[in-house]
Amino acid sequence: MNLVLELRPPESRLYGSWEERLAAVSRFSRPDEVHAVCEKAHALGARAVLAVLDDSIREALVAYQRWRDMALWAVVPNMFAFIRDLTDLGMVGAARARFTRLGPGAMMKIGLGAVTQVPAVLKKDFATGALLVMDMELAALRGLRVSRLFLHPQLTEIGLAGGVRQMFTAVADRAARAGIEAGLVTNNPLRAAEVLGPDLKRFAVVVAPANPKGWKMFPDRTSCERLYRADPARWAAAEITAGGTVPPRAALEHVESLGLGTAVLDARAVDAAFRAAAA
Amino acid sequence: MSSSPLRCAVVGAGRMGMVHGHLLQVHPDTEIVGFVDRDASLGPHLASQGLKAPLYPSLAALSEKAAADAVFVCTPTHTHLPVVREALGCRAHLFVEKPVATSRDDAEAILRLANEARVVHAVGYVYAHLPIVGEAQRILASGAIGEVLRFKAHAYVSEVFSEKKGWFFQKELSGGGVVANMSSHLLFIVGWLLGPIRRVVAHTRSHASTVDDSAQALLTFASGVTGILDTSWSTPGTQMLDYGLTVDGRKGTLVLARERILLHLLEAGGGFEQGWNEIHASDLPSDTAYDVSPHIGGEAFYRQLDTFVRACRAGTQPFCSLAEGVNTQRMIDAIYASAAAGGTPVDVA
Repeated sequence: MNLVLELRPPESRLYGSWEERLAAVSRFSRPDEVHAVCEKAHALGARAVLAVLDDSIREALVAYQRWRDMALWAVVPNMFAFIRDLTDLGMVGAARARFTRLGPGAMMKIGLGAVTQVPAVLKKDFATGALLVMDMELAALRGLRVSRLFLHPQLTEIGLAGGVRQMFTAVADRAARAGIEAGLVTNNPLRAAEVLGPDLKRFAVVVAPANPKGWKMFPDRTSCERLYRADPARWAAAEITAGGTVPPRAALEHVESLGLGTAVLDARAVDAAFRAAAA
Repeated sequence: MSSSPLRCAVVGAGRMGMVHGHLLQVHPDTEIVGFVDRDASLGPHLASQGLKAPLYPSLAALSEKAAADAVFVCTPTHTHLPVVREALGCRAHLFVEKPVATSRDDAEAILRLANEARVVHAVGYVYAHLPIVGEAQRILASGAIGEVLRFKAHAYVSEVFSEKKGWFFQKELSGGGVVANMSSHLLFIVGWLLGPIRRVVAHTRSHASTVDDSAQALLTFASGVTGILDTSWSTPGTQMLDYGLTVDGRKGTLVLARERILLHLLEAGGGFEQGWNEIHASDLPSDTAYDVSPHIGGEAFYRQLDTFVRACRAGTQPFCSLAEGVNTQRMIDAIYASAAAGGTPVDVA
């Protein structure tokens, strides 16, 4: 089975207590700790990282990819950071902050592209705005080997709710132009299949919850599993330990029983699986 | 029970209006008949998100074209009372985003008007709809921990570290700072679990923005239960609201976190063993068809809507009615009144 490590800013996760939060946030604010989790995941067999990047994760992955063959499945934009910038700096300020992080070549490319989109931006077109921010954050990932491109789930779920199919096909187009594959992360796999129809096949992988408790499997476990079994190579299982309540081995066995070829493990599951494997 | 969809209007096409709009589109028993916002430029923005319902400049303009069974009030807080007045003129059920109003007087007026109109009403304290919170309420109501004696609560988020702009950070428009707009989620849950508020002693502090950025409050409920709340939106480490609640009773202790309950019982009861019990959110049914915001609120948004729709169908007030929202508003007002008086106790009649 293909294993994928899931990384995102530790501040954006839920924890069992405030003390547990502070311990995790403190730990994963250090690139060396992120690096160590990558190495544990690699030892377990993971060869890709599904990541929403912050500075620590980025720094760790740049270093890690220098000596390990670990692909990056980039989830962009970092919506928590973007929303924070929106309230602090406004739309223009948030865009400017991302733009100024780019290298000269990317600035030119993004800037020229944005010119043609000015009318849509002025009309606050949802897909145009989302894709522009996505483009800027993707362009800022220089130095990293990105093999798959994902839209952040906060945007994905809104886009799926509204049936904004063209936003997703535009993501697939961008990925194809960049010579990489597009993917999708969603807690609403049935809605994704309904909205995207045949275009779902343009996404090499769709990451969605799959665990024996039905945790976060919306609308229900039965219909999600039926969907997964119909095209098991496309679906990657997320939330496999159901919030840490299913042991990693049992969680992986469940994923295998569904016929899925890929499982996504967060840092907590990697720690637990690594301990179990080492015992 | 009617089989036709509940026809809903959303007043206020900002962030919360759009979230409710999306849910109204995906819920099988609702239909969105229109948005209302004075900013006509939002029309294309709504449409670009797949929100197809027309945008009207006023509720009156919407009413000329369509009849709404329910109105979702998602405008800035200081406008809630006039919008509610207008909505009730349409005899529509009411969903009011939190907090109910910028003051207790306005909140009580809203509740009175809604009751006089005999409509179903609800307030949008979304976290109360998480299955784990509902389970905490069920456990306490079952008497498993015996007579409740005291509690301790926290609500933290990393959001305000410098002065911010916009109506949300103007007390007269939003009702306040972290207490009114962030920790009120937890105040609502505490009020739901423990009942009407009686007395408050509090301190607040503005250390980043012009509204309250942190607060400490000692709350006494009519039942005699006392407890403390510590809250801040200037705490590093958490991009979404992190809250926790510990409730001590004569026969046990309940610790509520975002995804689990730890329950310690001195004797078996309520279906739980003596000693420590852990209930994880994954052990509970979620009854959710769509997760509109996986990292913030999650399935609670859908469940909130579903609760409201069911209440409208049944013609009964949901647990999250405006009456419960007014209890929260009384806590908010009393916290501010006590803090303004240098920490003097404020009795809530």
